[in-house]
Amino acid sequence: MMVSDAPTGAGFRVIRVTTGREVGKRLADMGFTEGAEGEVVRAGLLRDPLQVKIRGYDILIRRSEAKRIEIALNDAPMGAEAAV
Amino acid sequence: MKSDIDSGAAAADSDKPRERRKALRIALAGNPNAGKTSLFNALTGAHHKVGNYPGVTVEKLEGSRFRDGREYRFIDLPGIYSLTAYSIDEVVARDFLLDERPDIIVDVLDSTNLERNLFLCLQFQELGIPVVGALNMSDEAKVKGIEIDELALSALLGIRMVRTVGTKGAGIEGLLDAIDETSRESQDQLKSIHYGEELESRLEPIQAALAVDGEFSSRYPARWLAVKLVEKDGNAFERLVEHKAGASIAQKAREASVWLEKHYGKDAEVVVSEQRYGYIRGAAKEAVRIVKKPSFSVTEAIDRVIMNRFLSLPVFVLVLWGVFELTFKLGAYPQGWLESFFSWLGGAVSGALPGGFLRSLLVDGIIAGVGSVFSFVPLIIILFFLLSLLEDVGYMSRAAFATDKALHAFGLHGQSVFPMMLGFGCSVPAIMAARTLKSRRDRIVTILVIPFMSCGAKLPVYVLLAAAFFPKNPGSAVMAIYAIGVVMSLLVALVFKRTILKGDPTPFVMELPPYRAPTLRGVLWHVWEKTASYLKKMGTVIMAASIIIWAITNFPVYKLSPSETEAVKTAYATQHPAASSDAVQASVDIAASEAAMEHSAAGTIGKFVQPIFAPIGFDWKLSVATITGFAAKEVIVSTLGILYRAPESEEGGSGTLSDALRADSHWNPLLAFVLMIFTLAIPPCIAAMATIKGELGWRWLGFEFLFLFAVGWLLSFAVFQIGSLAGLGVAAKAAAGGAL
Repeated sequence: MMVSDAPTGAGFRVIRVTTGREVGKRLADMGFTEGAEGEVVRAGLLRDPLQVKIRGYDILIRRSEAKRIEIALNDAPMGAEAAV
Repeated sequence: MKSDIDSGAAAADSDKPRERRKALRIALAGNPNAGKTSLFNALTGAHHKVGNYPGVTVEKLEGSRFRDGREYRFIDLPGIYSLTAYSIDEVVARDFLLDERPDIIVDVLDSTNLERNLFLCLQFQELGIPVVGALNMSDEAKVKGIEIDELALSALLGIRMVRTVGTKGAGIEGLLDAIDETSRESQDQLKSIHYGEELESRLEPIQAALAVDGEFSSRYPARWLAVKLVEKDGNAFERLVEHKAGASIAQKAREASVWLEKHYGKDAEVVVSEQRYGYIRGAAKEAVRIVKKPSFSVTEAIDRVIMNRFLSLPVFVLVLWGVFELTFKLGAYPQGWLESFFSWLGGAVSGALPGGFLRSLLVDGIIAGVGSVFSFVPLIIILFFLLSLLEDVGYMSRAAFATDKALHAFGLHGQSVFPMMLGFGCSVPAIMAARTLKSRRDRIVTILVIPFMSCGAKLPVYVLLAAAFFPKNPGSAVMAIYAIGVVMSLLVALVFKRTILKGDPTPFVMELPPYRAPTLRGVLWHVWEKTASYLKKMGTVIMAASIIIWAITNFPVYKLSPSETEAVKTAYATQHPAASSDAVQASVDIAASEAAMEHSAAGTIGKFVQPIFAPIGFDWKLSVATITGFAAKEVIVSTLGILYRAPESEEGGSGTLSDALRADSHWNPLLAFVLMIFTLAIPPCIAAMATIKGELGWRWLGFEFLFLFAVGWLLSFAVFQIGSLAGLGVAAKAAAGGAL
């Protein structure tokens, strides 16, 4: 599953960034690396861009970037917000 | 060579008495939003020097602190997340560290967000320059229940860590102590991150090969370059050309990357980042504890409203509306004062000097020209103050969130929105504000479309023409022009995206910092930073342009002959039998200034270029106004004032000019609308063009000039010709309805 498919409020664990070059390198540098824990906090009007919590801070990414990050959803939802 | 001398001196330092030591050169670096600016201010107080990094327009701040007779000279690096070649800022930081080799790097770390901040810190360490970590915003971390054992962290990473709170100036002495201690240590004790056996085994031979060329490795730390090469960093490969065995090392590095990609099943550049984060994770596990998770976050509560999927865009529009309301409402007062001041100054100088060219140059040229632009300065300062406030609070990234989807469709970026909005005030600061855009492509597109945002100086032109020719609803005529400008900017961006500025889609990866209370000092600092460079440009460019325009409208000198004067008097007296002798004399003065204008260099140029403007309905007078408008757009109004027999006055001047224009047989609503469109779309004033040149260079300026001229001309041509064919050039009412 990719970050772009994750429901709002669901916690996840990063498996890998599926691209290299500028985009992949930047995502990895910003903390999207194997095992990092995150959560999709909210999305824009057309579910783009996304606000994602990663390694304890918040970041905005477009859907096109979110499609490059492979994740596994956590079983239990993080925090109090359930998926909308 | 230089770095050898520096490090030698640093090693010998400990033997000398403190007073004799030379200044320590310290680079202040760190992530954006880590509180670097406030720490810089706390460290250096009022001793600032603003400059530019070589070859780019990124600002370079330097400041010093003195303690016990020792000088600590801090150089503020741009805020960055990594040392790749991703943005101008990163390249600037990297080039500075490699080429200038400061004695120490102070890395400002956001304590509430340590893992990501350490990611950059470890890259500094690899450069072979001693690093001191400032655990900044430690007060915020405490509130968030994050406990950092700085001694353990220091020991694990081999980097001295000191707690600081930049906004309160706390921890400064401790930081300077750590700098002293670190500068006393020899450089070969420097530790560096361990990337794990697989990666290290690949790095080792590359590092060894790099070290063979002594001259090369004295400039580029072998360890750092080896890592960069394996990361497939283009900039690193470029530097490798200088190495005598560069080709074979490049080959080795490529093989290593390929091996890593096979071994890990990921791109090599990603593997390196993962290993770095793995190392950080290990250190954080031992040195950082989260004692309690706060149950309530103010930021999250506010963002639930502000960043709500349906509300974010309306909130954004509301915020901007508020900013403009405040700017124009508050700015009107000082603007009025400045206008009165300059008209008083003009009067005073007129009274003090004998008539002649010097007086004319000072009063009609410099004071009138510079004064008309200077009266906009208060507006600009208020606009900057409000936007800096929004920036410091953290609203910028929320605005980008709200607008990115829409702007992206047109080839712009969420971050383009603020420079573009600034453009409604003045293009000069707007073009400079585009520096916040990370990619050069986005920056170019944003700068190129900013002239379509009608600036404050174009407003008087619109207001004059709308009042004269669309008397029923002048307001909507002006609004229509603003709207056409915004639509044009989006369409032009789209055209650029499809043609000359295709490029890779730039990733939108933007930190969303928590809301922070702005400090007055920080906001004022931002305002001053922006206003100072703007004033400097205005003072020089506008001054020069005013003098040139004054010269071409006054030379060569032409005076009415006695017989012409008589003819004017007779004609006026016939039309106005009851006119007083003063009124007759006034009519002579007007005729004289019009004749002088017609025979001046400006008039000659106007007639010479008129054929270009004939297809859009302009006569030589409008051609002159177009040319003088390059000094500043409101000069179009004053030029028309001279050319259409309306003695300009501070009050009601536009009113009489409106009447004069309406009475002139050449004018009609269609022509007025064409002039509005033309004013909107043609190249901006000289000050704005000078700024474009400064930001993008001559070639882009040349392109922009020709492009805007072509767009403005074609648009005006289409409106004028279609309007004329439809018969709008005659019937005033119909034109007003049809054109809108």
